[in-house]
Amino acid sequence: MLKVSGISKAFGAIRAVDSVSFHVTEGEIYGLLGPNGAGKTTTISMVCGLLRPDAGEVFIQGKPFSANPGEARRLMGVTPQELALYEELTGRENLEFWGRIAGLKPAEARKRATELLEALSLTDRAKDALKTYSGGMKRRINLGCALLHHPKLLLLDEPTVGIDPQARARILEFIVGLRAAGTSILYTTHYLEEAETLCQRIGIIDHGKLLAEGTLSQLQERLGEGLVFTVDADFGDSSPAHWGGFAERFRVLQKSGRQLIVAAVGRRDPSDCLKELLALPVPLQNVSLKRPSLNDVFLQLTGRQLRE
Amino acid sequence: MLRALLAKDLRRAWRNPLPWLLNLSLPILITAVIGMVFGGWSGNDNSLGRIKFAVVDQDKSPLADFLRGAANQGKAGQYLEPVFLERDAAEQQLKDEKLSAILVIPPHFASNYLTGRNVQLELVKNPAEQIHPAVLEELLQVVVSALNGLSRNFNSEFPAWREVIEGRGDYHEAARLIEQTGNKLQAARKYLFPPLVGYTNSAAPADAPADAGPKSAASTSGPRERSAPKFNIFAYLLVGLAAMFLLLLASQAMADLHRELWQGTFERYHTLRDRLLPFVAAKALFTVVIVSMGAAIMLAGGQLLFHFRWPRPLQLGLLTLAYVWFATGLMAVTVALMPDERRANALNNVLSMVFSMAGGCMFPPDQLPAAVGKHLAPLLPTYWFAATARELWWSDASWFIPAAKLAALGALGVALAAFLFKRRFEKGLR
Repeated sequence: MLKVSGISKAFGAIRAVDSVSFHVTEGEIYGLLGPNGAGKTTTISMVCGLLRPDAGEVFIQGKPFSANPGEARRLMGVTPQELALYEELTGRENLEFWGRIAGLKPAEARKRATELLEALSLTDRAKDALKTYSGGMKRRINLGCALLHHPKLLLLDEPTVGIDPQARARILEFIVGLRAAGTSILYTTHYLEEAETLCQRIGIIDHGKLLAEGTLSQLQERLGEGLVFTVDADFGDSSPAHWGGFAERFRVLQKSGRQLIVAAVGRRDPSDCLKELLALPVPLQNVSLKRPSLNDVFLQLTGRQLRE
Repeated sequence: MLRALLAKDLRRAWRNPLPWLLNLSLPILITAVIGMVFGGWSGNDNSLGRIKFAVVDQDKSPLADFLRGAANQGKAGQYLEPVFLERDAAEQQLKDEKLSAILVIPPHFASNYLTGRNVQLELVKNPAEQIHPAVLEELLQVVVSALNGLSRNFNSEFPAWREVIEGRGDYHEAARLIEQTGNKLQAARKYLFPPLVGYTNSAAPADAPADAGPKSAASTSGPRERSAPKFNIFAYLLVGLAAMFLLLLASQAMADLHRELWQGTFERYHTLRDRLLPFVAAKALFTVVIVSMGAAIMLAGGQLLFHFRWPRPLQLGLLTLAYVWFATGLMAVTVALMPDERRANALNNVLSMVFSMAGGCMFPPDQLPAAVGKHLAPLLPTYWFAATARELWWSDASWFIPAAKLAALGALGVALAAFLFKRRFEKGLR
């Protein structure tokens, strides 16, 4: 449905996006995961034609975006990160207006607005001015405004940012429903949980570069056989470089004065790894084993936590 | 789609009317203030009100009596309200702001004048007032010119006149002088009594910009008499004020594009539509609606307030509409060029002032420095509007070409703004 091939964008000396490539198949939710400023919004802006890439190309249903931008836009719905809505208008009026801009006739726009208000559980507030809505309700209208014309490809730029967990859960549930109906979705987020639970495939992006992509399990496998250990201890001046053969058996993901996060190298028995860690020449306080999260993958790729 | 976009903007304005009401109340306020300053509600169709001033006669001669009398006789009595006071009393009333000025006729004025010596009339203006003292000063200059003219042409008879005025001549001598002077005046009549201010109804040449200013009207020649409306100073002022104010109002209305930019709705539109022109054009139409309302308030409201009628309302309306469209196009370009509303406002205010001043909206163009009045002003759209609208007071010639030029510039501005926004989006500048 969507193929992004080596797109780049620089703003002066800053390379916001650097040779990013990925694709989204039909009925798939592809997550672009990265911290603020990683290049997610710039990528989406290039995909939807707001920004012209300095290099690379975007293909929609196999055709270059630049060949027929009008047709490409008709296939897409975009939900921007900010609430791009009119506060003075009601929820219904906002939906109908964006439906008209998307090319629907007035009657069609009215019908679709009614359907979406129902689907978004906002029928009872349809006639209220948007400025009286809660943040979560505005987010739902913001999402709905991209759906009036039944887009085949939906671009969602952090659609749940800044709202409470309950409102977020409702939106995520709605998005899962869209996917079930066959809509392809490019979803950007900096929330690990959303990427893990919602997306079939995830691309990790930082400083404008796509560092890794794959399914959740494929990404986890990058950290050895899925064994990540957290060692709490008073390390003082002691360093893994001084512990004989440690580097061959463990990859250091992060180290601070009191905590060391490591991944086992190769296929290892967890109990062997545990014994070796317990034998480290430092006063240990705790050693724990966990399945690697996306945060650990990000940690391994960038040397810092996604939440930092 | 244009309809949907325009309906959206009008609905938003309707739901949040305060900013627009404030903007539209400004022309009412400006018109009302001018009305109050000039006594526009007095019912006097000339609307300036009578100018109250003191005459301090320190000469007490028959010639001074003649000047005193002339100040409130006939037509002058409609405009002037002289009071005759001693100097101290007059100065006190001036301080109390009861007078616009004091005219002092110095001692020995008549005898010095009639003996050809230099004489000085003194005018003390009230510094708290602007217009009335200035009008009196102009009138005094006319009187001085007339006295100088008399002095040059009747110099040979002045000694005899002096004898008569000082009571030393007999009635026979006085009768002879009057007859002799009358004959001279009769001979000089055609040179002495053309109307001071007049107009012609001939159209300005096609390549010369029209100008309805009082000065230029006076400078034309040809037939003077026709049943055209009297020149009205408020109509003249209103046109200039409207030219400037409509630019400012267009700036306010067009600034809504900046709001659409920062709230992301303009970008959202672009995710659905490739061409930006409809969005900018719809905002321009919205601006035209708002600014046209402002224009109607100023021009039609001013007509009611100052008791005059625009002689050619249809032509004036079409010309104003073209100017409104130009103002909209100009402001669309500045919005597209400026990164935010604050900076755009600053630029627009400066532009409006400069265009209005240099375009002869605030002052008659021939009062401006020659480089501006003669060379720059005719190139400015504000001049095309103001000068043509003023010319419409006198004739209906050549309003269409300025209107067409204004409309074309407006359309160009809107198209240019759409192009600039497209480039701006492509560069990622919001």
